[in-house]
Amino acid sequence: MVSTATAEVPKSGKGLNVAAEPAVNHIEAQGLNKTFGSFKALEDIDFTINNQEFVSVLGPSGCGKSTLLRIVAGLIPYESGSATIKGEKVRAPRPDVGVVFQTNNMLPWLTVRRNVELGARIRNMPADARDAAVDKILDVLSLTKFADAHPHQLSGGMRQRASIGQALVLDPQILLMDEPFGALDALTRDKLNVELLRIWQESRKTVMLITHSIAEAVFLSDRVLVMADRPGKIVEEVTIDLPRPRNAATTRAMPKFGEYVAYLGKVMGVAS
Amino acid sequence: MPGVTSRLAAYSQVVLFFGAFLLFWEFGVRYFEVKSYILPPISAIAVAVWEARSEIFENSMYTLAEVLIGFGAAVVVGVMLGMVVYVSPFAQRTIYPLVTALQTTPKSALAPLMIVWFGYGFISKVAMAFLFAFFPIVVATLGGFAGTAKNLEEHFRALNAGPWRTFTTLRLPSALPSFIDGCRVAMPLAMIGAIIGELVGSERGLGNLIMLGTASTRTDLVFGCIIVITLISLALYALIEFAAKSVWWRGIQV
Repeated sequence: MVSTATAEVPKSGKGLNVAAEPAVNHIEAQGLNKTFGSFKALEDIDFTINNQEFVSVLGPSGCGKSTLLRIVAGLIPYESGSATIKGEKVRAPRPDVGVVFQTNNMLPWLTVRRNVELGARIRNMPADARDAAVDKILDVLSLTKFADAHPHQLSGGMRQRASIGQALVLDPQILLMDEPFGALDALTRDKLNVELLRIWQESRKTVMLITHSIAEAVFLSDRVLVMADRPGKIVEEVTIDLPRPRNAATTRAMPKFGEYVAYLGKVMGVAS
Repeated sequence: MPGVTSRLAAYSQVVLFFGAFLLFWEFGVRYFEVKSYILPPISAIAVAVWEARSEIFENSMYTLAEVLIGFGAAVVVGVMLGMVVYVSPFAQRTIYPLVTALQTTPKSALAPLMIVWFGYGFISKVAMAFLFAFFPIVVATLGGFAGTAKNLEEHFRALNAGPWRTFTTLRLPSALPSFIDGCRVAMPLAMIGAIIGELVGSERGLGNLIMLGTASTRTDLVFGCIIVITLISLALYALIEFAAKSVWWRGIQV
């Protein structure tokens, strides 16, 4: 029997049952490698994300961070090493893991409400539980007024909020986010960062956020993993020791906030 | 209300233009003394249509039935084939190139063959309407399925959606706009197919009436039939346009 509290997870991952006690390391990668043909996308990736921890993976475009997220999400296979969620080897997408992608995944022919409840319908959640969950999420995301609108009638920021709602409807313990605000303007992005922070502080999910925004990573995360490209590997790990609960006005004004941003900028090779 | 005024202006322009055109036809033919078996005046055509109204109506219904059944069969078979080609790589390698090659065959060249196979009656014209309408529907259906957004497919995979759920919730609605576009092209083609079939050999239908009119130099009747065919085609096209309104998400990207 393997203790879920340690990083020692057998390669096979078979026969593990960790449902009894909450797992401490929710997401884990060990010596993970991924190649596309002759192109080495990921090399020896090692990291752990603990229960209820908010961890950002920061890196330049093309460094393989999205590939890493897709492997953890069970969307693409990997060659060697292991990726586990709650100690179980990742083989396919799981119901306790919600994924938010960079492009909002709204179906244009469905209303916002029907889009948000899509995951619940696909996973056959009972109708009354589903309706209650959707009502709550629309309220949390301030989309109640737009429940019956169609996606093209919303702004880009609202569509992305609704996309987060799509992932939240099943109340997953783990949230994987692939540059969810990457396509938005800076102002909307800052606003949604604050909203995401609020949601996370209320629901305390385990979050793995892929981003190329240093300020976003520092503002939101407990820890930041920095990736370099060709091949994609983790080169630095920074614990963000800023007090919680954080908020837009005070946290960003802290001297330490600026220091983290400057330091991460230097690590990533950005003049600062 | 500027919107109403400008729309009224647009309509009145159309009415004025066609009115002028018809007047020019009517009096131009008389003024230049064009022989009526070459180009009868429009009033003579109207009279001919009125006098032969029951005959024209009966033959119109016959041709309409050929077109609708041929088109319906093209939709059913075309969508099925489009789906098979979409899901099966084997069909994509074998059937689809064959379909594409056959598409370049001039379908009108097949009319005599259809009459040899299916006789002078109804079935050979249905077959012609089918042949004309079939290919655009296959191509549009396949294009519609293949055009399903990749990010949405991944989203459905991340939600563990089964193949049936993915088909009904994602692929089918994604393919509908393209399918409707296919129908837009196919519907007038089905009419062309049926008429060609009737011209090559038939006992009834508007194409047959055209042949009879030509043989007896009833050019007024021939023109009348052509106008009726055009009006029926327009009505069918309007029907497709009406159906297309329910697939309003065409071209909307979010």
